[in-house]
Amino acid sequence: MRICKMHVSAKQTTLRFYKERLLRVLVHIQEHLDEPLALEELARLACLAPYHFHHVFTGMLGESLASHVRRLRLERAATRLKFTEMPVVEIAFEAAYETHEAFSRAFRKAFGLSPAQFRKRNRTSARIQIPSGIHYQHRKRPGSFRAAQPEDKSMNVTIKHLKPMRVAFMRHVGPYNEVGKTWECFTMYLGKEGLLGSGSQFIGISHDDPAVTPPDKTRYDACVTVDGMFRAAGEIGVQVIPGGDYAMLTHFGPYEKLSESYAKLLGQWLPRSGRRLRATPCFEIYLNTPENTAPEDLLTDIHAPLEAK
Amino acid sequence: MTAKLDLYKLHKAEYVTPKKPALVRTKPAQYLAIGGDGAPGGTRFSACIGALYGAAFTIKMTRKFAGKQDYTVCKLEGQWFFGGDPAAVPKDQWKWKLLIRTPEFIARKDLAAAVETLLKRGKSPEMEEVALETIDEGVCIQMLHVGPYEREHETVALMRSFAEANGLQFSGPHHEIYLSDPRRVPPERLKTIIRLPATKQD
Repeated sequence: MRICKMHVSAKQTTLRFYKERLLRVLVHIQEHLDEPLALEELARLACLAPYHFHHVFTGMLGESLASHVRRLRLERAATRLKFTEMPVVEIAFEAAYETHEAFSRAFRKAFGLSPAQFRKRNRTSARIQIPSGIHYQHRKRPGSFRAAQPEDKSMNVTIKHLKPMRVAFMRHVGPYNEVGKTWECFTMYLGKEGLLGSGSQFIGISHDDPAVTPPDKTRYDACVTVDGMFRAAGEIGVQVIPGGDYAMLTHFGPYEKLSESYAKLLGQWLPRSGRRLRATPCFEIYLNTPENTAPEDLLTDIHAPLEAK
Repeated sequence: MTAKLDLYKLHKAEYVTPKKPALVRTKPAQYLAIGGDGAPGGTRFSACIGALYGAAFTIKMTRKFAGKQDYTVCKLEGQWFFGGDPAAVPKDQWKWKLLIRTPEFIARKDLAAAVETLLKRGKSPEMEEVALETIDEGVCIQMLHVGPYEREHETVALMRSFAEANGLQFSGPHHEIYLSDPRRVPPERLKTIIRLPATKQD
């Protein structure tokens, strides 16, 4: 019984631990809504590695960092329309829209009314519904938020202890939906050198948040396990993926939706697991290949590094 | 540049298999092949799979690198030689030949070059046993088996009844095409095409 109780409290402590860290970020965002928000700085406030931060944020808040900021700016605009005489153009500009039309379009999508119509109606809420309960508040700091619950209670996460893996890798810098080209080139080189076999593991490491980093600058490493004999050459480097504990979740379906599974694992499962993230990147192991598999049948094992218990 | 060649798509009629016995007419096909005996999953078996895939990937990528026609590496297949009822033969005495279907334009010199590369990489001596082989199975009875390999006898029994009802008898080795990877897919969901060459009853 006692063990059981301790276990529950460890889980609650972890949830509190991650909530407190994200709350610092949420306060910072509300106080700096007009400044460009640097991912590195927000990640630092949360004491999380930048490559973990966006998954934890999206998973826990139920919206990405970029949509969070956009929503708060729209809510602020609605508040201004409601309580001030500020011209719409000025409000649009303040909400970081370059044209009045773009602002009107986004506003109508969020509130179902044009900014002018909204201003005329008194009782319309200036809030856009969101489960986290975090909204724009004039001169008030957010005090707490509701962490998103896993939709899928049966999220099948297993904890594995892995040995370090030596991999050959080729770095891809560019849009994530173009990593296929890097893989083609990389596997062709390895294959002709006799380095691909039935035991080869195909691994991907994403270093950036595609919602924040411009597409031409996002970094990804295409990796294949190699033995100790392999030496780095030209564009192909060698790295060691650290061993240790990892939480593993299998993603079923197209690669375009991988980030949703990352957010579930890091932002929904992890904070309730009693475990903490280790500051080394996540990686994914591809169990089959789009070369002969339909997108909906693709299987990918996502691995999130955990601190030792 | 020509589109990537996928032999399973090109010869679709030979691979589309329902979950009940059906007759298919197959054409001669070239395979990378390696034979041996021992239990599936055993040391020799695994070493042979490694050698076969090593050859398949190395040949494909060497050609691709040289700008020649690209193609998809096909799935693993196997022929099994039980010499009677498989249940009566201990697993470690099973004889088999592992296969990967390979385009006709792959020649012995492509294989020889790949083997040389792989041996230089320190790959196992089984590499040298990989051969190019053409197999002509002609008319076959074929059926999709879904589930663990241990229950294949149930599928084979249905195929045997089908053969008898159609005045046919099995005439060649038991051939399997592994559509699923047993390392990734749970046994109850494994998909395997079972192909049994058949001729008219004597």
